[in-house]
Amino acid sequence: MDASVPQIDYTEYTNRQLVAVPIGVLAAAIVVLTVATALSGLPVTLGIEFTGGTEMQVVTGDSPAEIRDAFDTEIDSVTPIAGQADTYQLTFQADDADPLLERAESAGYEIESVGERSASFASDSQRQAIFGLAVAFGGMAALVALLFRTFIPSIAVIASAFSDLVIPLALMRLFDIELTLGTVAALLMLVGYSVDSDLLLNNHVLRRHGDFYTSTARAMRTGVTMTTTSIAAMVVMTLVSYTLGIPLLPDVGLILVFGLLADLMNTYLLNVSLLRYYKYEGIAK
Amino acid sequence: MKLRIKKHWRIWLLVGFLLISTVAVFAPLGGSGGILGSADDAGQASGSQYTNLQFGLELSGGTQVRAPFVGMTVSGLEISPGDERAIESTLQDELGLSASEVRASAESGTVEVFDDGVVGNTTQAEFADALSAAGYSTTTEDVRMGVTRDTRDNAEDVLNERLTERGLGGGSATQVSAPGQQFMVVEVPGANRTEVIDLIGDRGQVEIWAMYPSQNGTYETESLLDQGDLAEVGGARQERGETFVPIRLSEEAGASFGEAMRANGFDQQSGTRCQYDLNASIEANAADDPGRCLLTVLDGEVVFAAGIAPSLSSSFASGAFDEDPSYRTTTTSFEEARELEINMRAGALRTNLDIENRGTTFFLLPSLAEQFKPLSLVTGAAAVLAVSLMIFLRYRRAEVAAPMLLTAGAEVYLLLGFAAAVSLPLDLSHIAGFIAVIGTGVDDLVIIADEIMQQGDVSTSRVFESRFRKAFWVIGAAAATTIVAMSPLAVLSLGDLQGFAIVTIIGVLIGVLITRPAYGDILRILVLGEDD
Repeated sequence: MDASVPQIDYTEYTNRQLVAVPIGVLAAAIVVLTVATALSGLPVTLGIEFTGGTEMQVVTGDSPAEIRDAFDTEIDSVTPIAGQADTYQLTFQADDADPLLERAESAGYEIESVGERSASFASDSQRQAIFGLAVAFGGMAALVALLFRTFIPSIAVIASAFSDLVIPLALMRLFDIELTLGTVAALLMLVGYSVDSDLLLNNHVLRRHGDFYTSTARAMRTGVTMTTTSIAAMVVMTLVSYTLGIPLLPDVGLILVFGLLADLMNTYLLNVSLLRYYKYEGIAK
Repeated sequence: MKLRIKKHWRIWLLVGFLLISTVAVFAPLGGSGGILGSADDAGQASGSQYTNLQFGLELSGGTQVRAPFVGMTVSGLEISPGDERAIESTLQDELGLSASEVRASAESGTVEVFDDGVVGNTTQAEFADALSAAGYSTTTEDVRMGVTRDTRDNAEDVLNERLTERGLGGGSATQVSAPGQQFMVVEVPGANRTEVIDLIGDRGQVEIWAMYPSQNGTYETESLLDQGDLAEVGGARQERGETFVPIRLSEEAGASFGEAMRANGFDQQSGTRCQYDLNASIEANAADDPGRCLLTVLDGEVVFAAGIAPSLSSSFASGAFDEDPSYRTTTTSFEEARELEINMRAGALRTNLDIENRGTTFFLLPSLAEQFKPLSLVTGAAAVLAVSLMIFLRYRRAEVAAPMLLTAGAEVYLLLGFAAAVSLPLDLSHIAGFIAVIGTGVDDLVIIADEIMQQGDVSTSRVFESRFRKAFWVIGAAAATTIVAMSPLAVLSLGDLQGFAIVTIIGVLIGVLITRPAYGDILRILVLGEDD
């Protein structure tokens, strides 16, 4: 036996104490999202895939200010691309790329990529993405309820999965990461990932003989290994792909890191205390 | 330690699938075209040089256009075949549309107009009113945006034909359905944006019009032919400074064409002289007494005008043309002749794609995309290394960790085999999916390993089986939730997300059905020490 997975002595803390941390973090996340909605009308910033507009990656010796001058249309953002010198990602609200392309060409910029999305198409995508997330979450919740067929253990899994989604969303707002198709994919992957460790914990506690604390400790040994392994993979993926200037992968990786960290907390504080309540008080009554 | 087929069938199954994967990925299967078309155009093919893997736009570069069709449809009508024309002409009058913008089909019971509130100026309410005026009581709610399946299928064929004719065989046009809307997605590796939009942006309706003075001296134009009347289209040619497309009309069209020529004075001995100015409008030309002309019209625009050579006019007069109805459609440049030829062969789209208002386009420089291939491989490898490091740190036993990593690797290899077998074009979203698969794969193997090894030694095969089954409950449940979570995305048309969802689902299935059971067997051999 090695000690690379830390053990927590749960007997020292009451359920209230354990739940306080994840509930507090979740509440803070919800506050962030609410304030953001009040200020800007949306909980998270939407990428052009969901708002419509034009995105262009150009190579030029010009400075960002000179790039802004080169276009007669207003540029939403000029972002240098990591790992590639003199390369910038330009975002425009305008969803007609042709005049923008002409401008860029006449300014002598090399155009590496252009994406153009009309506003109506984008709002369709937005609707579909929300629908997809809702169906995915609903389906997961229904399946979990079906697997355990008891209220508290099911709710414990669903609540921590919910929190695993909301916390990264709030962090996206704070770090100013846009909601794109890639990040939606990452959020969905979180639905799958986060449920793994919760299922493992519930399975160990509910379906096995033996003491609650022993079962929890065993589930934790396995679960924490799983989650930290995934976190390590995602941290590396984020760093490497960011340095190499590959699009999409850094966003996916970062969101997953956020979500998996949230999952560690939610599984071993929120879910554990709900299960302990169920095991010692819920069943007795 | 022997691997008996019966006892260790799970391992043999994995080995079998690995071999199949190897064949799918590496065996030269007659070109790398896969289902996306032949790889005749080496420069355009999106396949890889060494493997059968296909790469999507994000990894090969090129242009993608997604757009819906312009049009509205009312379906579920009872139309008798004889009434199609009547409905069409009523709608034309009521809505002020041309004949080609209205289509009634008795077979499918649908009426569609190729115009809508976004691109043209026909609203759903106006369409409903006009159809009611034609005797089919319709409300605004019955009018659906979009066109019929038949029209979309036809457009898919036409666009693919155009891509092939243009030598963009690696490109493809496919229909994608989203709730309430149908899109056409056109992907052309290696091509730039303007090239693709030019190729697919127009209906490509080729017509031959006759322009002639009528009895009272004013000029009249009449549409005589379109693509449907052609029996054969030759290759665009350049001979003695003249560029043209040789065509041959169908028998029926030939006869009526000859008839129209004779009726309007195109059959005079000396041929006809034509002084049509391509830079001026049809009306201006008509007022300027241009002489008898045949006009080549592309999407309503006159692209060429010419008189009739004496040899042709005499064959009109003698009726020889009606017997052998072939002639040359002349153009001003070879480029134009090619365009005309492509349109004549591919046929016309019944309606336009609305790229500007409701579509999206994406272009990525092929040279940049080429870089992403090795770079994303590096990223994947780095992620795998990180996972390996964590696993070794946790178990500190190479005989547990090594098979774990090999098994997770096998999972990705099987996925690649699957991708090659079905010619799934790989994009960055798939790469993210692969990395996710490694992640969940290793997670599940950790569950199996911990379950089997935690409570002291595994002495008998029965203890092993029971522990393995317990571990599998969690894995199965986790796999089921992942599949449930991903399945809506695999169906919705959200571009990137679809590929990601498909890869994740297939990866989970491969994991649960093939690789993880095999890992269990490997572990059994290692833990029990012998194959009892």
